[in-house]
Amino acid sequence: MTDTAGLAMEAADLGRRFGRARLSPAWALRGCAFQLPAGRVCAVVGHNGAGKSTLLALAAGLLVPTEGTIRVLGTDPASARARVGFVSQEKPLYPQLTIAETLRMGADLNPDHWDAATGERIVADGDLDPKSRIRALSGGQRTRVALALALAKRPDLLLLDEPMADLDPLARHELMGVLMSQAAQHGTTIVMSSHVVAELEGSCDHLLLIGAGRVRLSGEIDDVLTAHARLSGPAGTPLAPHTVIESRTTGRQLTALVRKSGPLPTDLHPATPSLEELVLGYLRNPGTSVTTTSPSEKAAA
Amino acid sequence: MTALSVSVNTGHPTSPRLLRWLVRLHRPALWSWLGIVVVLSGALLWLGGPLTDASAAAWRQFNACGMGTCHYDQDSITRYKDAYNYLTYAVLVVPFAVAAWAGGSLVGREMESGTAQLAWTQGVSPTRWLATKLAAPAVLVAAGTGLLALLHHWAWSAGEGRIDTTKPWSSFETFYANGPVPVALALTGLAGGALIGLIARRSLAALVGGLCFTAFAWSATQLAMPHLWPTATSVTSLRHNGPSGAGITLSSGLLTSGGDRIADPYCGSDLSLQCKDLYTSLDAVSFYKDYHPESHFWPLQLMASGVLLVLAALLTLAVFRLLKHRTAS
Repeated sequence: MTDTAGLAMEAADLGRRFGRARLSPAWALRGCAFQLPAGRVCAVVGHNGAGKSTLLALAAGLLVPTEGTIRVLGTDPASARARVGFVSQEKPLYPQLTIAETLRMGADLNPDHWDAATGERIVADGDLDPKSRIRALSGGQRTRVALALALAKRPDLLLLDEPMADLDPLARHELMGVLMSQAAQHGTTIVMSSHVVAELEGSCDHLLLIGAGRVRLSGEIDDVLTAHARLSGPAGTPLAPHTVIESRTTGRQLTALVRKSGPLPTDLHPATPSLEELVLGYLRNPGTSVTTTSPSEKAAA
Repeated sequence: MTALSVSVNTGHPTSPRLLRWLVRLHRPALWSWLGIVVVLSGALLWLGGPLTDASAAAWRQFNACGMGTCHYDQDSITRYKDAYNYLTYAVLVVPFAVAAWAGGSLVGREMESGTAQLAWTQGVSPTRWLATKLAAPAVLVAAGTGLLALLHHWAWSAGEGRIDTTKPWSSFETFYANGPVPVALALTGLAGGALIGLIARRSLAALVGGLCFTAFAWSATQLAMPHLWPTATSVTSLRHNGPSGAGITLSSGLLTSGGDRIADPYCGSDLSLQCKDLYTSLDAVSFYKDYHPESHFWPLQLMASGVLLVLAALLTLAVFRLLKHRTAS
């Protein structure tokens, strides 16, 4: 039995299919199992269409699983609704409302747990006039309002689907800072999806790599990185018993990314890969078998 | 651990103020609805009052005329007729407008733009969101349409016996605009539009779908309506030109001496020898007619409204089931 109290998110055999069962079954997500301890900043990484948005929508209770279960904050997504913040990729907002009205709506729809000051500050930091209508805002400004709405809810779990996609680098940096301080101050668990790995390195401490609708890799980023090695050496060197994620032979030179099992051959100059190398290695090779590192080791610690 | 600086209400949980935002987001629709109801009500009062009086006076002038030249107010008569016809159509169009709005704006647009998901990720469950979205408009739609149908009935009956060309109670448009059927149809349109909006997830498609659905529901009502209450049968002597009994006719013909019903050859009264011979050869003894007399107006209206309300209830159930099936509620 795992201690589920400290988990922000937990999926077991989670699957979601779109379309008719008989005509064109398309599994957006299938057989997903992972655990995300509370208080982490988790990066959900994968190709476009890998199932990241589906996973976040399932966690937010906007979709129901076709099979398996997902639990958030120790309960089902419907019961956790009041404690979960969500910003979807499209950042939908009511175009006819002003920014101030949008935040007032947030206050009215989230009674008992609304932090008006936080919402107003995030909006003010973007030099936005609270009286301007949503329809007059640029994509990036809209993202800021959507984040203000989600953060003012003071959620225990914040789900962000491609939150930074249409922000300029300066705003991206600043809002990432807002998110990180939120996580640090209030212990909010943040789960954000992105296909820009560089954006996540340095701010996230947990990784959930999704490929072709399955969890390919899940765990603390440090653990995941040290469990893998980048090798380079003469071609033909046997790599067993290590699991080869990616290998390339150029002339007589072999470079490989492996998941370690046991001591590494020193003649292959083992080095710890960067997060980007690791993620790209997995994404480029969707055929590699599913590997999952247990997050509970750290959760228990 | 969390929310140290938030003013946490430790009493029993406050419920989200959803209605206020429903009104704010659909303010243009709310004002339009109030405008439509006020304008049509005013027009119906004008129709049943001054227009009816003027037309009735003109008819009195006309009926007092002898064989020579006649001076009467023809304009008042046509003005009444035109106003009556347009207002009857206006009352009947209301359910279509409601369905189009429910499909296109109330639900379809929110599904298309993703703002429904925005609401569902606040502290509001999808079920509660839908319940507010259906209940509040249902009250306004029922009140508004009910008022219009009531005023239409009043305006129609004001002309009865005073204006020679008043539409009979059984005239198609008059029959439907005079009772609770438009109210029930508008509520069915609301539920049907919402369901289509949730399925189509696109504003324009749901608007068109809502209109088509209402047209279908109304056509079905028209087909079913005469069969929703037992008919009266009149038996008339062959001396007359045909069967008697004014109202909504279902079938008519001839009765044989054995009691069988046969088709009417439309010959006319047996005062004509030719027809008398024909009836004798057919062994016909009288005309018959299965029909709804005016006393069946309310039973027919109430039965048709009841059927529509059952349909509306089933559709409402279907919307909730679909939403529950799709989202975590």
